[in-house]
Amino acid sequence: MPAALLGDVDQTDSSAQSRTRALNQFLAGVELKAFKIAQAALRHEDDALDAVQDAMLQLARAYADRPAPEWKPLFYRILENRIRDLQRRRTVRGRVIAWLPLRGADDDEDPDPIAEAPSPEPQPLRRLEIEEAMGALEKALAGLPRRQQQAFLLRSLEGMDVAETAAAMGCSEGSVKTHYFRAVQALRAQLGEFYV
Amino acid sequence: MSGPAEPLTDFERQARGVLEESVRRIDARTRSKLNQARQAALAAAQPQQRSWLRSFTLMPAGAAAAAVLVALTLWYRQPGGESPLLEGQHTAVEDMDLLADSEGLDLMEGGDGSFYEWAVAQSDNAESEG
Repeated sequence: MPAALLGDVDQTDSSAQSRTRALNQFLAGVELKAFKIAQAALRHEDDALDAVQDAMLQLARAYADRPAPEWKPLFYRILENRIRDLQRRRTVRGRVIAWLPLRGADDDEDPDPIAEAPSPEPQPLRRLEIEEAMGALEKALAGLPRRQQQAFLLRSLEGMDVAETAAAMGCSEGSVKTHYFRAVQALRAQLGEFYV
Repeated sequence: MSGPAEPLTDFERQARGVLEESVRRIDARTRSKLNQARQAALAAAQPQQRSWLRSFTLMPAGAAAAAVLVALTLWYRQPGGESPLLEGQHTAVEDMDLLADSEGLDLMEGGDGSFYEWAVAQSDNAESEG
Protein backbone atom coordinates (compact mmCIF):
# COMPACT_ATOMS: atom_id res chain seq x y z
CA MET A 1 0.00 0.00 0.00
CA PRO A 2 1.41 3.44 -0.80
CA ALA A 3 2.67 5.40 2.16
CA ALA A 4 0.33 8.30 1.39
CA LEU A 5 -2.69 6.01 1.59
CA LEU A 6 -1.45 4.50 4.83
CA GLY A 7 -1.15 8.03 6.18
CA ASP A 8 -4.73 8.74 5.13
CA VAL A 9 -5.94 5.63 6.95
CA ASP A 10 -4.09 6.64 10.10
CA GLN A 11 -5.57 10.09 9.87
CA THR A 12 -9.09 8.73 9.30
CA ASP A 13 -8.67 6.25 12.14
CA SER A 14 -7.53 8.91 14.58
CA SER A 15 -10.29 11.25 13.39
CA ALA A 16 -12.89 8.53 14.03
CA GLN A 17 -11.42 7.84 17.44
CA SER A 18 -11.43 11.49 18.42
CA ARG A 19 -15.05 11.81 17.24
CA THR A 20 -16.03 8.78 19.34
CA ARG A 21 -14.25 10.31 22.33
CA ALA A 22 -16.06 13.62 21.77
CA LEU A 23 -19.41 11.85 21.49
CA ASN A 24 -18.70 9.90 24.67
CA GLN A 25 -17.81 13.10 26.46
CA PHE A 26 -20.94 14.84 25.20
CA LEU A 27 -23.28 11.99 26.19
CA ALA A 28 -21.62 11.65 29.60
CA GLY A 29 -22.17 15.37 30.12
CA VAL A 30 -25.89 15.37 29.30
CA GLU A 31 -27.11 11.94 30.43
CA LEU A 32 -27.92 12.80 34.06
CA LYS A 33 -29.70 16.05 33.25
CA ALA A 34 -31.52 14.40 30.36
CA PHE A 35 -32.68 11.69 32.73
CA LYS A 36 -34.05 14.28 35.16
CA ILE A 37 -35.85 16.09 32.33
CA ALA A 38 -37.36 12.84 31.05
CA GLN A 39 -38.29 11.82 34.58
CA ALA A 40 -40.04 15.15 35.20
CA ALA A 41 -42.08 14.64 32.02
CA LEU A 42 -42.83 10.93 32.38
CA ARG A 43 -42.91 10.59 36.19
CA HIS A 44 -41.52 7.08 35.77
CA GLU A 45 -37.89 6.08 36.24
CA ASP A 46 -37.70 3.16 33.78
CA ASP A 47 -39.58 5.05 31.08
CA ALA A 48 -37.19 7.97 31.57
CA LEU A 49 -34.21 5.63 31.22
CA ASP A 50 -35.71 4.15 28.03
CA ALA A 51 -36.27 7.60 26.57
CA VAL A 52 -32.70 8.71 27.27
CA GLN A 53 -31.26 5.45 25.94
CA ASP A 54 -33.26 5.74 22.70
CA ALA A 55 -32.21 9.36 22.27
CA MET A 56 -28.54 8.42 22.76
CA LEU A 57 -28.79 5.59 20.23
CA GLN A 58 -30.49 7.71 17.61
CA LEU A 59 -28.03 10.56 18.02
CA ALA A 60 -25.06 8.17 17.73
CA ARG A 61 -26.48 6.35 14.71
CA ALA A 62 -27.84 9.25 12.71
CA TYR A 63 -26.02 12.40 13.78
CA ALA A 64 -22.58 11.40 15.07
CA ASP A 65 -20.95 12.90 11.98
CA ARG A 66 -22.65 16.27 12.48
CA PRO A 67 -20.60 19.12 14.04
CA ALA A 68 -20.38 18.69 17.82
CA PRO A 69 -22.07 22.04 18.64
CA GLU A 70 -25.23 20.73 16.92
CA TRP A 71 -25.43 17.65 19.15
CA LYS A 72 -27.11 19.21 22.17
CA PRO A 73 -30.18 20.74 20.43
CA LEU A 74 -30.49 17.58 18.29
CA PHE A 75 -30.24 15.31 21.31
CA TYR A 76 -32.94 17.16 23.24
CA ARG A 77 -35.15 17.31 20.15
CA ILE A 78 -34.89 13.52 19.83
CA LEU A 79 -35.46 13.08 23.55
CA GLU A 80 -38.59 15.21 23.40
CA ASN A 81 -39.95 13.09 20.55
CA ARG A 82 -39.29 9.93 22.56
CA ILE A 83 -41.01 11.43 25.60
CA ARG A 84 -44.05 12.25 23.50
CA ASP A 85 -44.12 8.71 22.05
CA LEU A 86 -43.98 7.21 25.53
CA GLN A 87 -46.68 9.55 26.81
CA ARG A 88 -48.94 8.63 23.89
CA ARG A 89 -48.28 4.92 24.41
CA ARG A 90 -49.00 5.30 28.10
CA THR A 91 -52.30 7.06 27.35
CA VAL A 92 -53.36 4.17 25.11
CA ARG A 93 -52.18 1.61 27.68
CA GLY A 94 -54.09 3.49 30.40
CA ARG A 95 -57.28 3.32 28.37
CA VAL A 96 -56.85 -0.42 27.83
CA ILE A 97 -55.99 -1.10 31.47
CA ALA A 98 -59.05 0.87 32.57
CA TRP A 99 -61.17 -1.86 30.93
CA LEU A 100 -59.28 -4.72 32.57
CA PRO A 101 -60.12 -6.16 36.02
CA LEU A 102 -58.17 -4.66 38.92
CA ARG A 103 -55.01 -6.46 39.91
CA GLY A 104 -54.83 -8.01 43.36
CA ALA A 105 -52.31 -7.01 45.97
CA ASP A 106 -50.45 -10.32 45.43
CA ASP A 107 -49.52 -9.27 41.89
CA ASP A 108 -47.45 -6.34 43.08
CA GLU A 109 -43.70 -6.71 42.88
CA ASP A 110 -41.87 -7.38 46.13
CA PRO A 111 -40.15 -4.27 47.43
CA ASP A 112 -36.37 -4.20 47.16
CA PRO A 113 -35.13 -4.69 50.77
CA ILE A 114 -31.91 -2.78 50.08
CA ALA A 115 -33.77 0.18 48.62
CA GLU A 116 -36.26 0.09 51.48
CA ALA A 117 -33.63 -0.13 54.22
CA PRO A 118 -33.16 3.07 56.22
CA SER A 119 -29.86 4.82 55.69
CA PRO A 120 -27.50 4.47 58.67
CA GLU A 121 -26.34 8.06 58.20
CA PRO A 122 -28.21 10.68 60.21
CA GLN A 123 -30.14 13.10 57.97
CA PRO A 124 -28.94 16.64 58.53
CA LEU A 125 -31.61 19.27 58.66
CA ARG A 126 -30.28 20.97 55.55
CA ARG A 127 -30.44 17.74 53.60
CA LEU A 128 -34.07 17.31 54.60
CA GLU A 129 -34.87 20.85 53.57
CA ILE A 130 -33.33 20.33 50.16
CA GLU A 131 -35.13 17.04 49.72
CA GLU A 132 -38.41 18.72 50.60
CA ALA A 133 -37.64 21.51 48.17
CA MET A 134 -36.80 19.00 45.45
CA GLY A 135 -40.03 17.13 46.06
CA ALA A 136 -42.04 20.34 45.98
CA LEU A 137 -40.33 21.55 42.80
CA GLU A 138 -40.80 18.21 41.05
CA LYS A 139 -44.46 18.18 41.99
CA ALA A 140 -44.94 21.76 40.79
CA LEU A 141 -43.07 20.99 37.55
CA ALA A 142 -45.30 17.98 36.93
CA GLY A 143 -48.32 20.28 36.99
CA LEU A 144 -46.97 22.60 34.30
CA PRO A 145 -48.02 22.35 30.65
CA ARG A 146 -45.42 20.27 28.79
CA ARG A 147 -43.96 23.14 26.75
CA GLN A 148 -43.50 25.34 29.83
CA GLN A 149 -41.92 22.46 31.70
CA GLN A 150 -39.58 21.77 28.78
CA ALA A 151 -38.53 25.42 28.39
CA PHE A 152 -37.91 25.77 32.11
CA LEU A 153 -35.84 22.56 32.43
CA LEU A 154 -33.78 23.09 29.29
CA ARG A 155 -32.85 26.58 30.39
CA SER A 156 -32.57 26.09 34.15
CA LEU A 157 -31.16 22.57 34.38
CA GLU A 158 -29.32 22.14 31.10
CA GLY A 159 -28.24 25.78 30.95
CA MET A 160 -29.17 26.20 27.30
CA ASP A 161 -29.62 29.73 25.96
CA VAL A 162 -32.77 30.91 24.22
CA ALA A 163 -31.53 30.06 20.70
CA GLU A 164 -30.47 26.53 21.66
CA THR A 165 -33.71 25.95 23.54
CA ALA A 166 -35.67 27.12 20.51
CA ALA A 167 -33.74 24.68 18.29
CA ALA A 168 -34.33 21.83 20.73
CA MET A 169 -38.05 22.60 21.09
CA GLY A 170 -38.60 23.32 17.41
CA CYS A 171 -40.16 26.72 18.00
CA SER A 172 -39.24 30.41 17.84
CA GLU A 173 -37.08 32.16 20.40
CA GLY A 174 -40.08 34.33 21.28
CA SER A 175 -42.09 31.22 22.15
CA VAL A 176 -39.27 29.96 24.36
CA LYS A 177 -39.23 33.25 26.27
CA THR A 178 -42.99 33.12 26.72
CA HIS A 179 -43.03 29.49 27.88
CA TYR A 180 -40.14 30.10 30.28
CA PHE A 181 -41.67 33.27 31.73
CA ARG A 182 -45.02 31.56 32.32
CA ALA A 183 -43.31 28.54 33.88
CA VAL A 184 -41.41 30.74 36.35
CA GLN A 185 -44.59 32.63 37.23
CA ALA A 186 -46.55 29.43 37.82
CA LEU A 187 -43.79 27.84 39.91
CA ARG A 188 -43.31 30.95 41.98
CA ALA A 189 -47.04 31.15 42.61
CA GLN A 190 -47.02 27.58 43.91
CA LEU A 191 -43.73 27.48 45.79
CA GLY A 192 -43.33 31.05 47.01
CA GLU A 193 -40.43 33.42 46.48
CA PHE A 194 -38.05 31.82 49.00
CA TYR A 195 -39.00 28.22 49.31
CA VAL A 196 -35.64 26.70 50.32
CA MET B 1 -23.01 27.11 26.95
CA SER B 2 -24.11 30.65 27.67
CA GLY B 3 -26.93 31.22 30.10
CA PRO B 4 -29.80 33.60 29.64
CA ALA B 5 -28.76 37.20 29.17
CA GLU B 6 -31.24 38.56 31.71
CA PRO B 7 -30.15 38.53 35.37
CA LEU B 8 -31.70 35.69 37.35
CA THR B 9 -34.18 36.33 40.13
CA ASP B 10 -33.63 34.77 43.55
CA PHE B 11 -36.35 32.26 42.80
CA GLU B 12 -34.68 31.17 39.55
CA ARG B 13 -31.31 30.84 41.27
CA GLN B 14 -32.82 28.72 44.03
CA ALA B 15 -34.72 26.56 41.57
CA ARG B 16 -31.53 25.96 39.60
CA GLY B 17 -29.66 25.09 42.78
CA VAL B 18 -32.31 22.56 43.75
CA LEU B 19 -32.37 21.01 40.26
CA GLU B 20 -28.58 20.68 40.19
CA GLU B 21 -28.65 19.07 43.62
CA SER B 22 -31.28 16.58 42.43
CA VAL B 23 -28.95 15.62 39.55
CA ARG B 24 -26.05 15.12 41.96
CA ARG B 25 -28.21 12.78 44.03
CA ILE B 26 -29.14 10.43 41.23
CA ASP B 27 -28.52 6.95 42.60
CA ALA B 28 -25.75 4.56 41.51
CA ARG B 29 -28.15 2.12 39.82
CA THR B 30 -29.49 4.81 37.50
CA ARG B 31 -26.00 6.14 36.80
CA SER B 32 -24.86 2.63 35.92
CA LYS B 33 -27.80 2.11 33.55
CA LEU B 34 -27.14 5.44 31.86
CA ASN B 35 -23.49 4.50 31.47
CA GLN B 36 -24.48 1.20 29.86
CA ALA B 37 -26.88 3.04 27.53
CA ARG B 38 -24.08 5.39 26.54
CA GLN B 39 -21.70 2.53 25.78
CA ALA B 40 -24.39 0.85 23.67
CA ALA B 41 -24.93 4.08 21.74
CA LEU B 42 -21.20 4.49 21.10
CA ALA B 43 -20.97 0.87 19.93
CA ALA B 44 -23.88 1.49 17.56
CA ALA B 45 -21.99 4.41 16.05
CA GLN B 46 -18.90 2.23 15.46
CA PRO B 47 -19.75 -0.40 12.74
CA GLN B 48 -19.80 2.00 9.79
CA GLN B 49 -16.35 3.32 10.68
CA ARG B 50 -14.95 -0.11 11.51
CA SER B 51 -16.04 -1.90 8.32
CA TRP B 52 -14.74 0.96 6.23
CA LEU B 53 -11.43 1.02 8.03
CA ARG B 54 -11.08 -2.77 8.05
CA SER B 55 -11.11 -2.83 4.24
CA PHE B 56 -7.98 -0.66 4.31
CA THR B 57 -6.17 -2.08 7.29
CA LEU B 58 -6.54 -5.68 6.09
CA MET B 59 -5.46 -4.88 2.56
CA PRO B 60 -1.73 -5.81 3.00
CA ALA B 61 -2.65 -9.10 4.66
CA GLY B 62 -5.12 -9.87 1.87
CA ALA B 63 -2.57 -9.06 -0.83
CA ALA B 64 0.04 -11.32 0.82
CA ALA B 65 -2.45 -14.18 1.12
CA ALA B 66 -3.42 -13.82 -2.55
CA ALA B 67 0.26 -13.90 -3.60
CA VAL B 68 0.88 -17.09 -1.60
CA LEU B 69 -2.20 -18.71 -3.14
CA VAL B 70 -1.07 -17.90 -6.68
CA ALA B 71 2.44 -19.25 -5.97
CA LEU B 72 1.06 -22.51 -4.54
CA THR B 73 -1.31 -22.95 -7.48
CA LEU B 74 1.53 -22.56 -9.99
CA TRP B 75 3.73 -24.95 -8.01
CA TYR B 76 1.15 -27.73 -7.88
CA ARG B 77 0.29 -27.40 -11.57
CA GLN B 78 3.95 -28.24 -12.42
CA PRO B 79 4.71 -31.42 -10.45
CA GLY B 80 8.22 -31.68 -11.85
CA GLY B 81 8.95 -28.23 -10.66
CA GLU B 82 9.61 -27.06 -14.19
CA SER B 83 8.11 -23.73 -14.94
CA PRO B 84 6.43 -22.86 -18.28
CA LEU B 85 9.14 -20.26 -18.79
CA LEU B 86 11.91 -22.91 -18.71
CA GLU B 87 9.90 -25.11 -21.08
CA GLY B 88 9.70 -22.21 -23.51
CA GLN B 89 13.46 -21.73 -23.28
CA HIS B 90 13.97 -25.40 -24.21
CA THR B 91 11.84 -24.96 -27.36
CA ALA B 92 13.78 -21.87 -28.26
CA VAL B 93 17.06 -23.84 -28.09
CA GLU B 94 15.66 -26.45 -30.54
CA ASP B 95 14.63 -23.68 -32.93
CA MET B 96 18.15 -22.29 -32.78
CA ASP B 97 19.53 -25.72 -33.81
CA LEU B 98 17.15 -25.90 -36.72
CA LEU B 99 18.07 -22.41 -37.91
CA ALA B 100 21.77 -23.15 -37.56
CA ASP B 101 21.37 -26.32 -39.66
CA SER B 102 21.47 -24.96 -43.24
CA GLU B 103 20.56 -28.36 -44.75
CA GLY B 104 17.35 -28.57 -42.82
CA LEU B 105 16.51 -25.02 -43.73
CA ASP B 106 16.99 -25.77 -47.46
CA LEU B 107 14.67 -28.74 -47.22
CA MET B 108 11.99 -26.56 -45.60
CA GLU B 109 12.33 -23.62 -47.98
CA GLY B 110 13.22 -25.00 -51.37
CA GLY B 111 11.29 -28.19 -51.60
CA ASP B 112 7.83 -28.78 -52.91
CA GLY B 113 7.09 -30.95 -49.96
CA SER B 114 7.98 -34.22 -51.68
CA PHE B 115 10.62 -35.07 -49.10
CA TYR B 116 8.13 -34.75 -46.25
CA GLU B 117 5.52 -36.81 -48.15
CA TRP B 118 8.17 -39.51 -48.69
CA ALA B 119 9.18 -39.43 -45.01
CA VAL B 120 5.57 -39.79 -43.86
CA ALA B 121 5.00 -42.71 -46.34
CA GLN B 122 8.12 -44.46 -45.02
CA SER B 123 6.87 -44.12 -41.50
CA ASP B 124 3.40 -45.48 -42.40
CA ASN B 125 4.89 -48.46 -44.25
CA ALA B 126 7.13 -49.35 -41.32
CA GLU B 127 4.12 -49.29 -38.94
CA SER B 128 1.96 -51.47 -41.27
CA GLU B 129 4.75 -54.00 -41.72
CA GLY B 130 5.43 -54.12 -38.03
